[in-house]
Parts: sequence; structure tokens; C-alpha cells
Amino acid sequence: MDFQLLMTLHVAVGDVQRVGAVPHGTRVTAPIRDGGFEGRRLRGKVLPGGGDWTLLRGDGVLELDLRVTLETDDGALIHMTSFGIRHGPPDVIAALARGERVDPDAYYFRTTPRFETAHPKYAFLNRLVTVASGDRRPEGPIYTIEEIL
Amino acid sequence: MRSRPLFTLRLNTAPVQDIGAAPCGIRVTFPITGGSFEGERLRGKVLAGGDDWTVKRPDGVVELDLRVTLQTDDGAYIHMTFEGIRDDGATPAPYFRTVPRFETAEPKYAFLNRLLAIGAAQIAADGPVHVIEELL
Repeated sequence: MDFQLLMTLHVAVGDVQRVGAVPHGTRVTAPIRDGGFEGRRLRGKVLPGGGDWTLLRGDGVLELDLRVTLETDDGALIHMTSFGIRHGPPDVIAALARGERVDPDAYYFRTTPRFETAHPKYAFLNRLVTVASGDRRPEGPIYTIEEIL
Repeated sequence: MRSRPLFTLRLNTAPVQDIGAAPCGIRVTFPITGGSFEGERLRGKVLAGGDDWTVKRPDGVVELDLRVTLQTDDGAYIHMTFEGIRDDGATPAPYFRTVPRFETAEPKYAFLNRLLAIGAAQIAADGPVHVIEELL
């Protein structure tokens, strides 16, 4: 399959909400404070108010369910959602939990972002399927988002 | 991003159910009557009983929402779903991509629970063919 870089997105997370043990695993919700995105065809900021609803499954895989609103530098709003998974060796996951910076190649962190916008300039986003690789930095994740060609 | 082949999925469908103009678009449901999948690490058949619930949006893009059960040649059941989009008017070529997900209880195939996958599809004479790859 062929891919083309769409943008790099970083988000800053606020204080996490440890919902705890729910029927499908352990649920932790991370409110999104702000962030930014930059690509050849679009750039701008992440609006406050989104979140990443995470669920640590019984098999050790973390499921992520992110929803944010992006605002481009020319004023368009873009609704973005992305489902993803993250897992890795126990020592690597423990280092991430301690807030350490870890080589993103040491674990698996992939998501499938989707976009909705009403702005004609960015309507191409409504017609794409994309994938992302994540890098969980202490200050918040960075996603490299690529369009599937 | 890098990816590697997981399997090729061929689906057989029954006559469609034209639900018609629903609030989000034109809804058409494709019952899945069977099929097959074949890859280096797994192969088997598609069980009858799944469906692909599609909605054609006002902008011409068809959104897909598929659920099927796969049965491997050694008897494991795999729950498979995907969402995707099909844009027949895309240039320079029709665009038909999906993001499959899998769930299985069989340890041999548990790697499927831990990966994200992508699919590129084409409509062949005897039904859709999805080439599915694992995101590395």
C-alpha cells in the first residue's frame, strides 16, 4: 500500500481522569488542552475541549478513541476522530507510564484518523482514509498522519 | 508508514437490500453469503450471515460498515469488522479503502487482536475483493 504525508499533529493533554475498572478494562480519559498540526495542505491549531478516551484491555492492549476539533490557519473547523491501539514490552509501557521519553519504534502505536469538514477547501479530507503512527511524549502524543493513496 | 500483506478477502453477496433515502444518505445493505480469505499466515472461509451496511452520502462518497465472521482452515473463528469509504468519482482512479479490525479468542491468531489493518478493494465480476495489509 502507498502512503503520503498529510500532517503532523501534536496534542497537549490535561489532568487525566482515571475512571477505573469498567466491564471491558481500565478506563482513563485524557482531556485535550490544545495542540497544533502542520502539513503541506493544511495547518493550524487544536481547539481545547477534545479528549482521548482510552481503555486498557485485559490482554494489555490500550485502545484509544480520540475526538478533537482542528482549526486551520484560515479559519476552517475540522472534526477529527481516531481509533487506535498501543502496546509493547512491559518495561517500555512502564517507562511510558512513568512519563519518560521512549523511542516510538520500541512499541506499537497506530491509529486510523477520520475527518469531517464543511469547508470546500478542505473537503478532500472527507474522502480519505488515513493512518497514523504515534509517539507518546511526556507532554502529549505526536501523530504522523498519512493518507492511504 | 509501512505495511505488509495479511490476506486477500473475497466476498459473495446476495441481492442488495435497497433501504432508500435515510437521513444521512442512500442506505443499501449487502448481505454476505460467503467467501474466502487467503494469506501467508491465515486462510479459510467467510461464513454466511454477515453484511455490509452502506450509506451513499450527498457528496457521492459511499461509507461502508461491514461485519463478518471468518473461519480459518483449522477451525478458529475470527470476528471481523471494517469501516471504509468508496469514492467511484475520485481522480485519477476510484478510491476504495477500508480499516479492518479483528477479534479472536484463538491464541494462534491472537496477533490479529493487536494490529491495525488497512484494505484496498476492487469490485470484480463475482464480487468485491479486498487486499488487506497489516500496519507495521
